Amino acid sequence: MDPTLDEAWEGWGEALDALGERALALEKYEMARRLRAGQRPGAPDRHFVLRQRGHFTAEILAYDSVVRSLAKNTLPYLARGNAYLATGQAAKALADYERALRLKPGVPEITALKGEALAMLGRYSEALQAFDSALLARPNDAEILGGRAIVRIALGLVEEADADWRQQFGLLRGRPSACACVALRMADYGAALPQLEQALMKEPTDPYWLLYRLTAQRRLGQVVDATNIPVIDAWPGPLLALHAGRTSAAEALKLANTESRRAEATFQLGILASAHDHNAARLHWQEIVDRSGPSQIEYAAARHELARPLSSSAL
Amino acid sequence: MFSVILYGRNDSHGYNLHKRAAISFNAIAEVMSDPDDEILFVDYNTPDDHPTFPEAIHDTLTEKAKKVLRIFRVRPEQHYHLKSKTHLVALEAQSRNIALRRSNPNNRWVLYTNTDMLLVPRREEESLSKILGDVPDGFYQIPRFELPEMLWEAAFDRRDPVGNLTKLRDWAVRFHLNQVVHNFMPMKYDALGDFQAALREDMFAIHGFDEDMLLGWHCDSNLAARLALYRGRVDTLIDKVFGYHCDHTRVAAANNKGRATRMNDQNRFIWDVSSPYLPEQADTWGWPGVEIEEVRLDRETSYERFTSGLAAALDPATEPYRSTSLDWYLYSDLSYDIRHTLPFVCDQVLTYPRSTAVMLVATRAEFVSRFAVAWQAMGFTGPILVPTECQRLDTSHPSIKTGAFSDLVRMADLFVFEFGLATQNPDEAVRIGRPEGPLDKKSLKAVAKLFAAAASEEAETRPKGRRLPRRFIGVNVIYNKFWPLFTDYIGANINPFCSQVLAGIPRQESSLKGKILKFRGRYRV
Repeated sequence: MDPTLDEAWEGWGEALDALGERALALEKYEMARRLRAGQRPGAPDRHFVLRQRGHFTAEILAYDSVVRSLAKNTLPYLARGNAYLATGQAAKALADYERALRLKPGVPEITALKGEALAMLGRYSEALQAFDSALLARPNDAEILGGRAIVRIALGLVEEADADWRQQFGLLRGRPSACACVALRMADYGAALPQLEQALMKEPTDPYWLLYRLTAQRRLGQVVDATNIPVIDAWPGPLLALHAGRTSAAEALKLANTESRRAEATFQLGILASAHDHNAARLHWQEIVDRSGPSQIEYAAARHELARPLSSSAL
Repeated sequence: MFSVILYGRNDSHGYNLHKRAAISFNAIAEVMSDPDDEILFVDYNTPDDHPTFPEAIHDTLTEKAKKVLRIFRVRPEQHYHLKSKTHLVALEAQSRNIALRRSNPNNRWVLYTNTDMLLVPRREEESLSKILGDVPDGFYQIPRFELPEMLWEAAFDRRDPVGNLTKLRDWAVRFHLNQVVHNFMPMKYDALGDFQAALREDMFAIHGFDEDMLLGWHCDSNLAARLALYRGRVDTLIDKVFGYHCDHTRVAAANNKGRATRMNDQNRFIWDVSSPYLPEQADTWGWPGVEIEEVRLDRETSYERFTSGLAAALDPATEPYRSTSLDWYLYSDLSYDIRHTLPFVCDQVLTYPRSTAVMLVATRAEFVSRFAVAWQAMGFTGPILVPTECQRLDTSHPSIKTGAFSDLVRMADLFVFEFGLATQNPDEAVRIGRPEGPLDKKSLKAVAKLFAAAASEEAETRPKGRRLPRRFIGVNVIYNKFWPLFTDYIGANINPFCSQVLAGIPRQESSLKGKILKFRGRYRV
């Protein structure tokens, strides 16, 4: 069994519980919960489906059954589609969203999800059409605006993407972590920093908010107290260590064991280089644009950094 | 750690409601261990002259339950704008959202359940606060187990939650009570609304319950559908806690008409839900701009307010009893004992909002001064409106505002009309055949005129924004010559003579007599 399959642990627990094996059952349930607690949600400025993490096999199977009984209602397709999308199965998600849209044409929330699935498949022009259509009905929907901004920047429409992000930033007021992510995508560190400070008041040990605060401080030319950077083993701890001077670039890159982590590490190398070597920084950021996906914060931020004149700081 | 959200009203929803609710309030409080934990009960649309439901059963609640219980009272006037859209007298979505808006922001969780549930942690030493504190973010439900009516009614002691939970653990095994009823996703279990634990932050993000659900039923399934979308899954706490429902099907509840039951559209509110969010109610859910009264059972109780008011207005009696009489020949004798009557008058006003403006039209100066003292000491902040047409009254009390009847009547939320003898001294014996003097006659004539005018024009003179009829309290209107006058205009019950008080709202008479009365009342002033 995949030891990270939380649903299997839970199912195992349920079976043991029903058999009267209470102590063993509790262990399995606890394991499932530990796994779930360890999963960090996606970026808080993204669509709620894209914030979901983990395995959704049980949900997919459950909604398979509901679809067979209620083939003329949208929710079962939508919920199953979301489970597919959250687990990166964009083609299957798209098929479910299209079925739902055939039953209820033009529902903006489903159209927006279709846009997200198309974007995940790299079909950016079609995704843009879907988002445009959804936004006609829901012009102030922060999540749809965020989705369109990502598609726009993927298509090289940086100014248009920024217009969406600026609107999204305004709509997300009161949610500092989400605002910070939007500002970081625009590499607007002046706007991001106060939001990150607020996010850290709520979640003082969150490693990403600590990392991004260092990012913003460095790009704004502020002095960083490297001695107070906490030691955290789990990712993105190595990037905090990089800022603290406790690890090397090579070591950080070595520990970046996924595409997205590699993009995060590369971006931070660019940030650190920008203080003394703009060209080196730009090389790092260009690598992100060339290699990573547009939904990552670092991708959009790198594009904005590259769009700045060589001598410009982020102020 | 968590806010439990419940709702109801002071009525008789199903069989032996009072016992079920007391058992439930006490049992839920018993499994709370965090200082921020709270039970929020929205008392929805209880008539203004009734106490809230928890106040009505407060003597059956434990000290712990009283301490954690916060009651939000939604007045009939606040419900009025929804009255024509629903056959129900208590609305679930509105109630639960009103509580959520006003819940303790320190709490991570909100738990939706009902006033007939007992939640039993599977580890006896574990509280529900601890359980919820330990689990990761998510949306949690548990299956509901049914408890036969005989068991909870016959064997539970309302004020012994620990004993009740112990009994439940035993019965669950002996009587095979624990049957999990699985259900379609996203509901997961049957009767899911009896335990839905969501993050408070999530509930704010999705804009609470759907307030378009005005016909009853399926609010829980709608929430499950929306939270399942938002979170991606429906989690279970079956390994941590069991939930038992006090079955109450001997008598059908008001919202249960068998196959003829009206309910919210399942397709619209469950199977075709397309988003967790409700942008149309994003700024209005839970009535953020509406002032909702909060009532506590552990401080400033109604009893404390009542006794404070009377203690300030009355000295204790110095004799074992005083007498009055119902003899027929005393029908015209309007003498009465204010000190005995005042508690019954205060009883009529106590449940109204503290900001109530009461119009007081009276003959006896003593009544006005004692009532004003009691009013203020009971914590009312609204004015006592005394028309200048009433003469020789002491209006120096700071709560009293004087003015022309025609002006004041448009400010009043409640009316008190007192029909006594202006010349009666406090220590006079009552109902011994006292005649009316010219001054008494003049005062009574003025009060009667104002009463008829106020009652006949009540609908036309309501304060701006008020839509429900105002209540009239008649003092000294039983078995005397003002009884017919008062009851011609006001739909009052038959009350014992001893209280000297009748109350009700103006009659809506479409008969010729009613029309004549209205015409006469209108032109008396």
